[in-house]
Amino acid sequence: MSEPLLLVEPRGHASRAFARLQVERLRSQSEIRDALERHRRQALWVAPHAPAVRLLLAALAGRSKGDQRLLSLEPANGARHGLLHAIFRFVVSADEGIRLLPTDQLALVLGSPNREDLFVGGAVAPDDATVILYGGSLEPLLVPLAWFRVRRGGPRPDPSRLTIADFGQTIRLGDYEAATDAILYEFDDAYRRRTKKRQIARDRSFGGALRRLRVQKGLRRTDFPGVTAKEVARIERGEVKKPHPSTLAALAKCLGVPAEKVATY
Amino acid sequence: MPFRVTLPEPWANRGWQVKIRDRERLEPPHVTILRRTRAWRVDLRSGKFLDKEPDPTEVPKEVVHEVRSNLQRLRQEWDRMFPENPVLSREAGDE
Repeated sequence: MSEPLLLVEPRGHASRAFARLQVERLRSQSEIRDALERHRRQALWVAPHAPAVRLLLAALAGRSKGDQRLLSLEPANGARHGLLHAIFRFVVSADEGIRLLPTDQLALVLGSPNREDLFVGGAVAPDDATVILYGGSLEPLLVPLAWFRVRRGGPRPDPSRLTIADFGQTIRLGDYEAATDAILYEFDDAYRRRTKKRQIARDRSFGGALRRLRVQKGLRRTDFPGVTAKEVARIERGEVKKPHPSTLAALAKCLGVPAEKVATY
Repeated sequence: MPFRVTLPEPWANRGWQVKIRDRERLEPPHVTILRRTRAWRVDLRSGKFLDKEPDPTEVPKEVVHEVRSNLQRLRQEWDRMFPENPVLSREAGDE
């Protein structure tokens, strides 16, 4: 279940892009403080412009923050940036190299029941070879740049040209496109649990999970020292229901995940 | 660069897309139908929808027809893009 969505819209500053969004609209300091009381545990606040950020800060400065998250379409640099981070647990704003979805797409994503399965923004930390992606709940997800593998004959990912596209369903690095589904499936345990429930028919065996994970990691059956390709194949086909703990440990080590996680893929 | 199936009008104009991107979940091989915030995966081995949510019946039959009539081409593209997990795969250890 997604957290409540609160749109800060001072009187006289209605945002056209968010006009059709089904959301609680807050127009004054008192409405903002009331909303904070009602949603003290967790809420996602949206500030579409500078007047909204100013109103929010005036209303909330010095208040206890809880698990409050802010999406600000207005860049917030310097002291204001520090203030926002003092109030909110997560702040995603159009600054610090963060690329957001186009506003019309952002409005649809925020109003979508599956917004936690979509990305709203992202940034590249080139020195750390990492892409930071922000889902619809604004939690950051770190993806190593190396994960965006170059396929034979395909385009090379260009980190300097990051965009979030297709209503948060695609990450573009220049001409290179990665599916949000593939990123979340690999890096987000909760997403894997949700997608499992949605599948019509699926090989739910340990072997099926092992095969999906191995293929996703780009490994061959011959890539597991100490375990023969034949044995890997037998496990994947379900001929070995429960691999020996030492075999499982060897597989998990090469796959780069804890042994108990293999079955979740 | 993703591989796209060019959809006829009015479907393309209404925001429907069919594509295989450069980085996908690799198993099972699939093509994705996208519209706005929703996506449907179609299995390239069977031609069937992989997920019950979102509801496959929401995809216009003309779009589904376009995918299924391009299945052979999509399989070839998948195999070209992801030779490590071809649609009809045989690997070391298979009997």
